[in-house]
Amino acid sequence: MAPVLYVTHLTPPVRAVLMTAKTIDLDLELKKLNVEKREHKNSEFLKLNPQHTVPTLVDNDFVLWDSHAIMAYLVSKYAKDDSLYPNDLKQRAIVNQRMHFENGVAFPELLKILYPIIHDGKKTITQEDEIAADEVYSFLEAFLDGKQWITGDSVTIADYSLITTITALNVLVKIDHVVFPNLNTWMKKLEQLPVYEANRKGLDSYTTHVKLLLR
Amino acid sequence: MAPTLYMMPPSPPVRAVLITAKSIGLDLELKQLNLRRGDHKTPEYLKLNPQHTVPTLVDDDGFVLWDSHAIMVYLLSKYAKDDSLYPQDLRKRAVIDQRMHFDSGVAFAVFLRILYPLIYGEKKTITSEDTKAAEEVYSFLEAFLEGRQWLTGDFVTIADYSLIATTSSLNVLVKIDPVKYPKLTAWVKNVEKLPAYEANKPGLEKFIGYVKSILG
Repeated sequence: MAPVLYVTHLTPPVRAVLMTAKTIDLDLELKKLNVEKREHKNSEFLKLNPQHTVPTLVDNDFVLWDSHAIMAYLVSKYAKDDSLYPNDLKQRAIVNQRMHFENGVAFPELLKILYPIIHDGKKTITQEDEIAADEVYSFLEAFLDGKQWITGDSVTIADYSLITTITALNVLVKIDHVVFPNLNTWMKKLEQLPVYEANRKGLDSYTTHVKLLLR
Repeated sequence: MAPTLYMMPPSPPVRAVLITAKSIGLDLELKQLNLRRGDHKTPEYLKLNPQHTVPTLVDDDGFVLWDSHAIMVYLLSKYAKDDSLYPQDLRKRAVIDQRMHFDSGVAFAVFLRILYPLIYGEKKTITSEDTKAAEEVYSFLEAFLEGRQWLTGDFVTIADYSLIATTSSLNVLVKIDPVKYPKLTAWVKNVEKLPAYEANKPGLEKFIGYVKSILG
């Protein structure tokens, strides 16, 4: 039986897991939650995940949430090799660092800019928003110095984690190609991966949604 | 040669690494940074860690790593005698990863959001919004601890270290109500009894003094 993944289509962390599953050819049974109907706060879902976030994975009797933990788990359990999440201590350590950067810095910045637009009817991107996004971009630019992918010479789940968030942030604050050439090249390379298709659909509906709100 | 840790004692993520090192008997050469002096923004430090955060580890072979969670996993995998603090078992490990990402994405993020305006002199009090945000963190932890002695199950892991360092500091800003959060309160007491918890104390004391000097 395929593992079940509770999802909403707009959210970057869900897309990161979808990219991972696609790469390792793992079928997931997707269950869409309607957040507007507060399906993430109903008692059955809270019993699965008291933090009421998506994605949430149910693999037989095992329940797990947080996209990074899910990606690491799925790769360790279902992938044919360890390339997406290397067993090598040092390589893995860098992947972990990048994922905690995504989780602790990049994604919160995205939410900080996005929430007032969704919830408070904010219609413009402020200068403060731009400074915050540019700081995220400049960190990534530095991480990519001398590297082809975000942790080195091969694609890992850190790339998936960050591309889904950065493409979403890019809709709000455009990445300046001149200021951030490494970042721009990295994005282009990721977009060329066949597995990037798993990001596109969710990103497209997110983009439409955000542009409508900002109009 | 002992690995080097760039640090400052009051920082919760630094303390999480210190607790980890103490519990596996690993000596670290500590290098204190003075953030007010801008030690973390010098060209030499930025070369080590462009994200200019503490803690940053430089291992004896020159390998550089930052982010407390990544550092704890790395140190254990390399230096610990057994895997009890970060088990090889996939499911156990996955739950620890989830809790650590809860720390970096939620608990520590909330902590910083409350702390920064105090540090930068933008406010002098804890607002009701701050209290609400901290209480949400506490209520998540209370739920995680349902039916468990430690944060991920029957044994102590680095998820406990990571979250005790943050929670004991958040508690300085917004007190944990023992009536509302009995499991969380019991867990804090349990962690405080661990010998390795000694490594959290000096930095936490400094943090408490610092916060008192701002809030009065």
